[in-house]
Amino acid sequence: MDGILGSIFSIDFLVVVIRVGVPLVFASLAAYVASLVGLSNIAIEGIMIMSALSGVLISAFTGSAWIGFFGAAAIGIFMALVIVFFSMRLKADPIMIGIALNLFATDFSVWLMLITTGTKGMTGSLPSKVLPTVHIPFIEDIPILGQLISGHYLLTYVCVAIAIIIWIVVYKTPFGLRMKACGLDATAAESVGIKVNKVRLIALILSGFLAACGGAYLSMGYLSFYSDNMTAGRGWIGIAAAAVGGGNLGIVLLTTVGFAIAQAIVNMLILTSLPTDLVNTIPYICVLIGLVALSIREYHARRGKVK
Amino acid sequence: MSEPILKLEKITKIYPNGVVANKDIDIEFEKGEIHAICGENGAGKSTLMKIIFAIENATSGQIYYKGQPVHFSGSMEAISNGIGMVHQHFMLIPSFTVAQSIILGDEPKKGMFLDNATAIEKTRELAHKYNFDDIDVTAKIANLTVSEKQKVEILKTLYRDAEVIILDEPTAVLTPQETDELFNQLRQFKQMGHTIVFISHKLNEVMDISDRITVIRNGHTYGTYQTADVTMEQLTELIIGRKLDTDFDALKHPVENAKVLLDVKNLSYKDGGVTKLEDITFSIKAGEILGVAGVQGNGQEEMVRDITGLIPHQSGTVKIDGTDISSMTIKKKRDSGLSYIPEDRMEDGCTVKESIADNIVSTFYQKPPLSGKFFIHNREILKKGRELVERFSVKATSEKDKVGSLSGGNIQKVVVAREWATDPKVMVAEQPTRGIDIGSASYIHEQLIDMRNNGAAILLVSADLNEVMSLSDRLIVMYEGRIVAYFPSLKGVSESELGLYMLGVQKMDPSVIKEASYE
Repeated sequence: MDGILGSIFSIDFLVVVIRVGVPLVFASLAAYVASLVGLSNIAIEGIMIMSALSGVLISAFTGSAWIGFFGAAAIGIFMALVIVFFSMRLKADPIMIGIALNLFATDFSVWLMLITTGTKGMTGSLPSKVLPTVHIPFIEDIPILGQLISGHYLLTYVCVAIAIIIWIVVYKTPFGLRMKACGLDATAAESVGIKVNKVRLIALILSGFLAACGGAYLSMGYLSFYSDNMTAGRGWIGIAAAAVGGGNLGIVLLTTVGFAIAQAIVNMLILTSLPTDLVNTIPYICVLIGLVALSIREYHARRGKVK
Repeated sequence: MSEPILKLEKITKIYPNGVVANKDIDIEFEKGEIHAICGENGAGKSTLMKIIFAIENATSGQIYYKGQPVHFSGSMEAISNGIGMVHQHFMLIPSFTVAQSIILGDEPKKGMFLDNATAIEKTRELAHKYNFDDIDVTAKIANLTVSEKQKVEILKTLYRDAEVIILDEPTAVLTPQETDELFNQLRQFKQMGHTIVFISHKLNEVMDISDRITVIRNGHTYGTYQTADVTMEQLTELIIGRKLDTDFDALKHPVENAKVLLDVKNLSYKDGGVTKLEDITFSIKAGEILGVAGVQGNGQEEMVRDITGLIPHQSGTVKIDGTDISSMTIKKKRDSGLSYIPEDRMEDGCTVKESIADNIVSTFYQKPPLSGKFFIHNREILKKGRELVERFSVKATSEKDKVGSLSGGNIQKVVVAREWATDPKVMVAEQPTRGIDIGSASYIHEQLIDMRNNGAAILLVSADLNEVMSLSDRLIVMYEGRIVAYFPSLKGVSESELGLYMLGVQKMDPSVIKEASYE
C-alpha cells in the first residue's frame, strides 16, 4: 500500500492525471458550451467514438496524421450539425437526436472497423498515424516543471488553450453574455434582437469540434489505434461534469479534474492485485457522487421557493 | 395637427386557420401623447402590437412611421427605428444584473471585450436621467420586486432610444401606489417627447393616464376618443358591446342559519427557516366571500397551498364544516368539500393537451355514473362535459376540443365549471380572473356569487383590488405572511386605504384582526 500512496504523491502521478484528464476536459467543455446556449449535446460519447475511429482510418489511408485529425474534427462537427438541423429546422427533441447519434455511433463504428480491418475488436493492424508530441525548449530541461508542462501531446496544449479561450469568451465578451442569455431564456434573448439560432449553431459547431478532439486524442495520441468502446463513457463523464458545474466553467473544470484524478488512481491500482473490474468502477462512482451532490444542492436551492 | 409619429392603415391579420384577428384597423399615434388601446383579451390588441413590433406580419395594410411607409423585417428593426415594447411577461433573466439585462444585445465594448465599467456607468446615467434612481444597476434581477423589474424593462427600451414605447398591460402586476408611480413616470416621458402606447383593460386606469383612447373589439376598431370626452360607462359599452352590471351587491342574497364552513386557526408556515405565514386565523360562514388582498408574495400563495394541500402542512388547523382537514391528502380534502381554482390555469388549473371533457371530470371521474367498478364510461364523461360547456357558455366547437386551443377566459371557465361541479362547501379562488377578458371575468364573478348564494364559503385571493373589493363580503389584508387588517364590511373602504395596509405602512390592532375569526 505504501507503494501506491508513494506513487500517488509523485510527479509521475500528476503527469498521468494530465494524460487521462485531457479527453475528459474536451468532453466536459463540449457539454458545457452546448448546455450554456440551451441546446443539449448528449451525443458527445458518440461523436468521440466516430472521430476516434475516423481519425485512425483517415490517417492510415492518407498517411497524414493532420488530415486524419481534421477528418475526425469534420466528422465531429458534422454530427453536431445533425443535432442543430433536426432540433432547429425540424423541431425535434435534441435529447432524442443525441440518443440516436449515440446508438448509431456505437454500432456503425463496429461495422466500419469490420469492413476496413476485417476484425471487430481493434484497428491495430492499420498503419495509422499519431499527432506529434511537443517538447518546449529550455523548459523541458527544468526538473519537475519540465516534466509537468513539456513533452505532452499537441492536443493537450490545444485543450488548455481552448479552455482559456472559452473562459475569456464566456466571461469577458458580449458574445459570452449572449450565449448565456440564449441558454437561460431564449425568448428574452430574442426580444432584444439576439439571433438565438445563430448563437446556438456556433456553440454546437464548437461542441462537436471539442468532442472530436477528445476522440482523436484517444486514438491518435494516448493510444495509436482504435479499439471497440475505446471512449469507455468519457463523453458521459464530461456531460456529468458540465451538469455538476451548471453555468460555472470553473466548477465544471474542477469537477473534471476530480474525475481525472479518480481515473489516474485507477491506472495505478490496476497494477496491484485488486480485482480489475472493481477498480475500473472508481471513476463512475465518483461521477455518481458528483451527481448526487448536484441534486442535493439543487434540492436545497429549490426549497427556498414554494414551487 | 402635426404628422402622426406612427400610423396604422387598414391593418388586417388573418391567420392561416382562418381566424380574423384584426380587420381594417386604422389608428394614428401623435408624438408625445399617451394613447390607450382598450379592449377585452382576445379582442386583437396583442396581435396588433405584435404587428407593429414586427413579431407577426400583417396580411394586408400599411404602417407609416414618421410619415414613411415601413416594413420592419423583425423586432430588431422596429427597435432600431425607435419603437420599444414592454411585454406583459417580463423578458428578463434572473441571474443577470440590471446593467447586463439593459445592455444585452447592444453591449458597450472595449476592443473585443465587454466593457462592464461603461455598461454600469451608462445604465446608471440612464436611470438617473429618467428618475429611476431607486434602481441599483449592479443588483441581480432575481432580487428585484415586480415593479423594479418593470422599470428595468422600460429602461431597456430607453437604452435603445425608443421614441414610441408600447406597454402591454403594465399595471396588472402593480399595487395602487406602484401604479401611481408608474403613471407619474409615464407623464414625465410624455413631457420629454416620448409617445406611450398603453394597452389595458382596466378602464379606471385608462381614464386616468391616457390622452386618447382607441377601442378594439372583435378585431375591429370602434373609434379613437379624446379621454376627456368619454365616460367610463360609454367606454365599457364600447368595449364589450353591451351594458355591464358591476353591482354585485344586488345579486347577493343572505343565507339563512349560516354556519362556519371554513375555519383556519393559527396557520403558520416556514420555508427553510424563513417564516412565510404566521398565525393566520380567520373563518368563513356559508354564503360568505372572504377577500384576501395583498401584494403578491406576502404569503397568500403559501396560505392557499397549505389549505389546498399543495405544500406539506406544518402547524395550525384548517377545518371544513368542523372536520380537521389540515393533514389530509388532497383527494380527502376534496372529498370533504374543498374546491380550488388555482392562480395559474395553464400550469396547475388544467392539462392543456387534453380535451375539455376530460379536464372537467378530472376531479370527480372516479364516481358513478362516470366510472363503474373497473372502467370509466367515456360516453357519460362526454355528456357531462357537454352539459357543463353549455352551462358555463364555454366558447368551443365541441367538448372534445383540446383545452389549449381555447382563449384564456374560456380555459378559466372550464376550470370554474369543474370546481363548481362537485358542489363544494368551501371554494378557494386564487386570482380567478387574472388576465382574462371582461366578459368572461364578469361571468365568473356571477358564478362565484351564485355559489355563495347557494351556501358555499368562498376564500377569494386576488391581486386585483377591484375584484376583491367588489365581490367580498368581508376582507383581510396580508403583509409579510400576517394578517394586518380586517374589514367586516367593505362599505366606505377606499383603494388607497387598503394600499397602506398592503404596503405595510399601517397595521390594525390585533384585537380587530382577531375578529376575522367567528370564535
